[in-house]
Amino acid sequence: MSVGLISGSENTAHFTLDPRTKLALVATVCTIMISGRVGGIMTVIHPILALVPFVLLLFSRRVKAAVCYMIAYAAAYSMISFVMPATSGIISILIGATAGIIYRMMPSLITGYFVVNTTKVSEFNAAMEHMHVSTKITIPMSVMFRFFPTIKEESSAIKDAMHMRGISSLRNPMEMLEYRLVPLLMSVVKIGEELSISALTRGLSGDIKRTNICKIGFHFPDLVCFLLCIVCWICFVLHMGGIV
Amino acid sequence: MNQQSSKLQAKDLITVGIFTAIYFVIFLACAMLGFIPIFLLAMTFYGPVITGIPFMLYLTKAKKFGMVTITAVICGILMFVFGMGYFTMITALICGLAADFILKAGDYSSKKNTTLAYAVYSVWFIGNYIPLYLTRESYFASLVSGYGQEYVDTLRAYTPGWMFLVLLAACFIGGLIGAALGKAVLKKHFVRAGIV
Repeated sequence: MSVGLISGSENTAHFTLDPRTKLALVATVCTIMISGRVGGIMTVIHPILALVPFVLLLFSRRVKAAVCYMIAYAAAYSMISFVMPATSGIISILIGATAGIIYRMMPSLITGYFVVNTTKVSEFNAAMEHMHVSTKITIPMSVMFRFFPTIKEESSAIKDAMHMRGISSLRNPMEMLEYRLVPLLMSVVKIGEELSISALTRGLSGDIKRTNICKIGFHFPDLVCFLLCIVCWICFVLHMGGIV
Repeated sequence: MNQQSSKLQAKDLITVGIFTAIYFVIFLACAMLGFIPIFLLAMTFYGPVITGIPFMLYLTKAKKFGMVTITAVICGILMFVFGMGYFTMITALICGLAADFILKAGDYSSKKNTTLAYAVYSVWFIGNYIPLYLTRESYFASLVSGYGQEYVDTLRAYTPGWMFLVLLAACFIGGLIGAALGKAVLKKHFVRAGIV
């Protein structure tokens, strides 16, 4: 988690995709994987799309994440194909619920993780500007990505502090809610105010159009990704029409 | 920079981002319990109750038209990425806009209107359940490939047609209770600490 949208620091990976290509990949993987259509050409498309995040992570040198993902996906897949038919009742429901979520959601979530993890905030903004997306959406979005790790950090610190006071079980949910949520909100709101002032100091609210030094553009890897997306979409639409 | 302007400034947009992030994280933490089929439905009730706390705090900062709508739209987009289908984007947009109009009618300060607006806003979550009813057979068929027949059968048993109205009401009532809870917490902690 050292580079990317989340930290906003320099991206040192040699393999880079245009943010717009990444969006196309996310849209493709999310729609087609989650639609849950089976049979026909989909038996080929599904594994290919499941491999997409794996390959992307490998190329951007996040080997550990890539391998973890592949193991989890393979485990969920084999649970569903081999273990589930042999079980029944509550065990089958539990396997279905856990393995099913991994099997259906993991590819999209990991693609999303890849995008968030490898895109700089300014790259994201540059791409959005090229696509003429309003700042009304892009500013809140980039603030959100900046904030997720902050919330996580603050939350774990508060968890530790409350653990020392003996407030750590779910036995008293109201107490949990009050002692965990309220301090979290307090600190996050304060951090947010500081962030807001810092952004305004750097001219975020100016009337003049902001410039951006990020060079984004389409190269050979982008072409490959787009071709893959187009092929998948064609197959998907044909499958919906019942042709293949 | 004109602070009094009714148009959204960069500062407001940053506020939207911060509170949407908090709201969504807490929301997701609640949704994690949805592994168990019955919680998937109960979520419509306890989700709005718990997220009432951050949302009420948000409404004390949201004083311009469009902020709640943007939050709703972003939640809808994120739900789509999380695989809940595209219906949520539509319901989120409608509920967000409606909540914004209610807030505007109360001049962004009326207590009654903020309660009502949050309850209306909470209904956006119903979009996740629309595929369960609108495209019922194909939806269940698509679930079988991942979740298994038993899980799907349990889900089907819990969701007869009239359940949709119950879920809708649960969202709304959950929203009302959440707003009351949020206001109580706000009064007990945030007003005293000078955050609001």
